[in-house]
Amino acid sequence: MTATVVEPDQTQRVRSGRHVERIGLGALLAAGVLVVLLGARVVTGPLAILVSALLFVTIVGFIVIAILGGPEARRQLAPYGLLKPGMLWLALFYLAPLFTLLKQSLSSLPSRFAVEAEFNWSFGNYADALTDFRGQFTRGFQYAGAATILCVVIGYPLAYVIAFRGGRWKNLLLGLVVVPFFTSYLIRTIAWQSLLADNGPIIDWIERAKLTGPMESLGIMDNGRLLDSAWAVIGGLTYNFLPFMILPIYVSLEKINPALVDAAKDLYSPSTRAFRRVVVPLSLPGVFAGTLLTFIPAAGDFINAEYLGNPNTTMIGNSIQDQFLVQSNTPLAAAMSFVLMAIITVAVLVYTKFMGTEELA
Amino acid sequence: MSRPSLTRRQLLMRAGAFGAAGLSLPALLGAGAISATSGKASPRTRPASRRPASGGGELYVENWPSYIDPSEDDLVGTVDRFMEATGIDLTYTEAFNDNNEYFALIQPILGRGETIDPDIIVPTGWMAGRLINLGWVDELPLEEIPNAANLRDDLVNPPWDPDGTFSLPWQTGFTGIAYNIDVTERELTSVDDLFDPAFEGKIGMLTEMRDTIGLILLSQGVDVSAISSFDEAAEAFAKLEQVKSDGQIRAFTGNDYLGDLESGNFAACIGWSGDVAQLTVDNPSIRFIIPESGGISWADTMVIPKGAENRTEAAAWMDFVYDPVQAAQLTAWVQYVSPVKGVQEEVAKIDPDLAENPLIFPTEETLAQVHGFANLDEDTEAEFDEAFASIVGA
Repeated sequence: MTATVVEPDQTQRVRSGRHVERIGLGALLAAGVLVVLLGARVVTGPLAILVSALLFVTIVGFIVIAILGGPEARRQLAPYGLLKPGMLWLALFYLAPLFTLLKQSLSSLPSRFAVEAEFNWSFGNYADALTDFRGQFTRGFQYAGAATILCVVIGYPLAYVIAFRGGRWKNLLLGLVVVPFFTSYLIRTIAWQSLLADNGPIIDWIERAKLTGPMESLGIMDNGRLLDSAWAVIGGLTYNFLPFMILPIYVSLEKINPALVDAAKDLYSPSTRAFRRVVVPLSLPGVFAGTLLTFIPAAGDFINAEYLGNPNTTMIGNSIQDQFLVQSNTPLAAAMSFVLMAIITVAVLVYTKFMGTEELA
Repeated sequence: MSRPSLTRRQLLMRAGAFGAAGLSLPALLGAGAISATSGKASPRTRPASRRPASGGGELYVENWPSYIDPSEDDLVGTVDRFMEATGIDLTYTEAFNDNNEYFALIQPILGRGETIDPDIIVPTGWMAGRLINLGWVDELPLEEIPNAANLRDDLVNPPWDPDGTFSLPWQTGFTGIAYNIDVTERELTSVDDLFDPAFEGKIGMLTEMRDTIGLILLSQGVDVSAISSFDEAAEAFAKLEQVKSDGQIRAFTGNDYLGDLESGNFAACIGWSGDVAQLTVDNPSIRFIIPESGGISWADTMVIPKGAENRTEAAAWMDFVYDPVQAAQLTAWVQYVSPVKGVQEEVAKIDPDLAENPLIFPTEETLAQVHGFANLDEDTEAEFDEAFASIVGA
């Protein structure tokens, strides 16, 4: 008998709980959508005032329900309330601009010097972005890929030494990795211009070491110059993004208990095998994070190609910048940005599929 | 002269480096910080003026970098002399980096019928022509500029402003070939020298379409002052595309070609007479020639953007710099060809050698070698720009 009395009471509570949760979720999503509508200027004029009022209602209404609803309702509403500032931020500063960009990429300029692009589903921008800038897209990903691989090759051993052999110098060594960040990214890149210049110190050393011939035959040097070449761009990207590779790898290596390696050795595993079977798998999350932190920004970078490249080594970032700021062709530039984003997203998804993120530290 | 000239060179190189930075940075990095270093202020925001207003009104002039004599040592620069003479509170900035880039900056404002803050801007002739055609500039109050009568005869009815009512040239100059003889190890004479395989990857060209394509057109025997259709220029564009793909060209640059030319990264490049005239004084390895097939002549010209507030003050400024005595001091520093009559006599009083420099006071012979680029109609210009951007643009 007692069970039959209690049961409806419980379902009642569960039901009202779901009800409250639905209100919380609804208010959260509604606020997000309304902010996007306002931020992307989809609604203007009197409609915008109405939408603002609705937004106000969703926020204030939520608070009112939380106050009137009693402790149980408040407990259930709390997560949505806590999510709200983040949601509003994301909606206003990410979703709304993204929507604006999307709309821009499907617009066209009615005349050559027109200020406002007209939205008219012009998918031609995407066709232009893919056909006219195929070379720049390809180069952008090639250079970013090459720089990422170089970063792993240089960064992994360095992170390994700091993590396992750093001893009391660990913090100092880590500090040295970060020190270049104290100088502006741009200044560091321009500094490479002087170092690699045709009459600069590096060419001078190469010439004195009589390495010009081998360097030319390797294709690194061309007609006596290093600067303004594809290798200079890749080198610049590698240099600039190296700390983003070293730090995550270091973090994952640092967490490995050295006793695990000792255990492998106790089981008669040679050091190389212990490294391969124990250290590498455990540090993969760091490599994964590092490659993403390096590859994604490098693929859209334009500073290195601007200062260390030549007109035949421009990357997609340079093209987007040129279309936005010099040619004033915002629809095309927006379409190019979207294509770049789409390619990176797909590449990262595929990569994640193979590397797996479950173990990502 | 060597002291101001040295300073100017350093300034130019700095302006080049930071100017180029300004060109590419605003999109990703803090635009504000870069604006500060390059002196490149957005035309919407008025920088803090140098001096409190002294009752003579206000004026805001936006010009190219290193295009005016600064106050240094015992020399009083044009800006300070003007403020002293008129009591007008002048804000002078150097926001121009590239015509197209500056246009992209003001287009969203003027295109909506709003006004930009500067009272005077100084685009190159063809860009002034575009602004005039778009109706984005006001007529000059010529009745308040009596010294405008000192305008050189050949500039009275320029192709970009046939009635001469909208624009008044600031400086004029020539586009030719600059080279570093330490690197080339021989004298250059023609545009074809730029395509010498020995200089592969060591040639610079300008992002200014009329200069780069203009020189190539002239070398192909095309009269740039009469060009009217894209077909006539197709061959020149094909040539440029080819040498770019071959890796002959190291960079397409703005004013920052000077640094590369001096350091030897460029064996040769397309350059502007005033810049190189100055470099040559300090560094005899740097030479400037107008190629056998001819050079381009151009003018950067003052215009008043539509709706600018301080027309009277703008007129006072134009009148001031068109006084041959004032213009001579400007010429002695910037080393370009002054658009003002009577400057040569005044410069001779400052520096007799300078008054004999054919790149600053061109002889008949020099003038016969240079050609102005024709004023293209809008559709043709669009074709030229598009073709050029597809080669030069990133």
